[in-house]
Amino acid sequence: MTLPPIIAALRKHKAGAVLIALQIALTLAIVCNAIFIIYSRVDAVRRPTGMDESNLFMVEQQWVGAPSGDDAASLQKQDAMLREDLAALRAMPGVVSVTPSNSMPLLNSSWNGSAALKPGVDLRGGNARTTYYFGDDQFLSTLGLHLIAGRNFTAADVVNKGFRDNSQPDIIIVTKALADKLFPQGNAVGKVIYLNGDTKPSTIVGEVERLQAPSVDSWAAGFVWNATIAPIRLNGNFARYVIRTKPGQLDTVMRGVRDVLYKVDPMRVLDDDSVKSFADIRANAYRADVGMAMLMAVVCLILLAITAAGIVGLTSFWVGQRHRQIGVRRALGARKIDILHYFQLENLLIAGAGALVGIVLAIGLNKVLMLNFEMSRMPLVYVLGGLAIVMALGQLAVFVPARRASNVPPVVATRSV
Amino acid sequence: MLKMTHLSKVYRTEVVETYALRDFNIDVKEGEFVAVTGPSGSGKTTFLTIAGLLETFTGGEYHLDGIEVSQLDDNARSKIRNEKIGFIFQAFNLIPDLNVFDNVEVPLRYRGMKSAERKERIMNALERVGLASRAKHYPAELSGGQQQRVAIARALAGSPRLLLADEPTGNLDTQMARGVLELLEEIHREGATIVMVTHDPELAARAQRNVHVIDGQVVDLAEDPRFHTAYTAAAGQVRS
Repeated sequence: MTLPPIIAALRKHKAGAVLIALQIALTLAIVCNAIFIIYSRVDAVRRPTGMDESNLFMVEQQWVGAPSGDDAASLQKQDAMLREDLAALRAMPGVVSVTPSNSMPLLNSSWNGSAALKPGVDLRGGNARTTYYFGDDQFLSTLGLHLIAGRNFTAADVVNKGFRDNSQPDIIIVTKALADKLFPQGNAVGKVIYLNGDTKPSTIVGEVERLQAPSVDSWAAGFVWNATIAPIRLNGNFARYVIRTKPGQLDTVMRGVRDVLYKVDPMRVLDDDSVKSFADIRANAYRADVGMAMLMAVVCLILLAITAAGIVGLTSFWVGQRHRQIGVRRALGARKIDILHYFQLENLLIAGAGALVGIVLAIGLNKVLMLNFEMSRMPLVYVLGGLAIVMALGQLAVFVPARRASNVPPVVATRSV
Repeated sequence: MLKMTHLSKVYRTEVVETYALRDFNIDVKEGEFVAVTGPSGSGKTTFLTIAGLLETFTGGEYHLDGIEVSQLDDNARSKIRNEKIGFIFQAFNLIPDLNVFDNVEVPLRYRGMKSAERKERIMNALERVGLASRAKHYPAELSGGQQQRVAIARALAGSPRLLLADEPTGNLDTQMARGVLELLEEIHREGATIVMVTHDPELAARAQRNVHVIDGQVVDLAEDPRFHTAYTAAAGQVRS
């Protein structure tokens, strides 16, 4: 059976055919955009932070009744308490290394600023935006960062300062992304930059391959790989420690860490949320993205199910309506497969027409989302993927009623209505 | 052309067996115009559906154009229906969504015939039934007689070896019925083999030979004492 008689017959059933075609068009438009959103979210969730994420956890704690840190003496007392904690943690069995840190990737608690090639240039005038990490000489090894140029910090490089001290570090290590942004010609090591509009230069002594910013929000998307690491122990009544354990020791060390810290100083707040594995930090950071992806997937599935039900319903109705006609076709020589193909081809025509409209709608919807929701341009492969899905769905949905039609016996042609 | 020997058709349910045809024998020669008559429920339509390979039979033998059809699968039966048999139904059975041209084209498409040959055959068939000018009309735009002529054109277009007609004038008024019957006679004169099922004695009388079916069997009315009186009376009515 070829197309002209099917098209001729469809002209007599315009309303149903147009409605299903429109449903397919809408489904295609929504499904391919939804799949693109899902993939974008999943892609963001799955991107590596630059750290060796296994065997890593973080402790957040607050001292009770700690020195104020407003003067040099109390600041040094705070630093002594910090170093005492670090020493105790490093002495724990199963611990490989420990660093103090103001934050870590995906923690959603970040310090951000600007990096400029000239002194005194403020945030807007800087050459690049950057996130700041403050840690000691074990920062790189604890996080498992790959040093690709220059050198790591030594213990002698590490200084301490208070939270409210705005002075800039003498030396820094930057990520390759930030180095490339500031020095496109390469060789960033040894160069100086100016942080946060300061006039004091900071010399780049090393370059790490990759380190993600703490924030996963869209506002930080522009500098998510631009990180500056300073050899600083930040002093205050609050501290974060990032701890790397030996393989297989993570749970044991995490369970024992509170006792160790309480033994050093019981006057501190260490609640259930204070100790987090990096896996938990990652899951928490991307909970909304994963939720959105799942919601989109569910919406897609519901939409596809409704469309499939529509196709099954309409085809079943047409099979019932054309019962005698099918019998006549069989009497005139149609084989069962001819009847099956008739309905499949008819569906292909309707779905194809709907898909053409759907492609236009899909691209249009993507443009609207780009304008209003900071979405990127949807690659053509998603439209083609959506097209394949709705066409395959149409064929699957039509199969059962079409097979029922093919089983109508030819003797029906002789029966009175 | 069409030979059934000791053929039977049984409809079975869990509790009862009903014989629609029992020890049914018929032999239609090539070029014959045979009318199959009988009262309602006698089995004549069952005979037609089996003759047209629209239904299978339970026992006996059926040779159509030299082929024993009982062992054929569904595809082979479809092919024979398409190539060797032309159907003319009481209810015309045109496809309402297709125009006259497309309706006549349906069996030719299933035969896989090329477009040019299809077009030539369709126009020849429509000219033969006098409806070439109505090729683009839809069935609903035609009278009953015209619709039956389109159905005849559809049956003729494939040059079948056998035409099976099921009460071909049953849904037509007298004038239209006469036109259709004259057309069938003309087709027969040109050499077609026609088997027509009817309960109309006047229509049956126009056929070359009558076969009477009663209770699922072919009977000779003149010889069977059960029907002798009724047959004589009916024959007299037809003659007068």
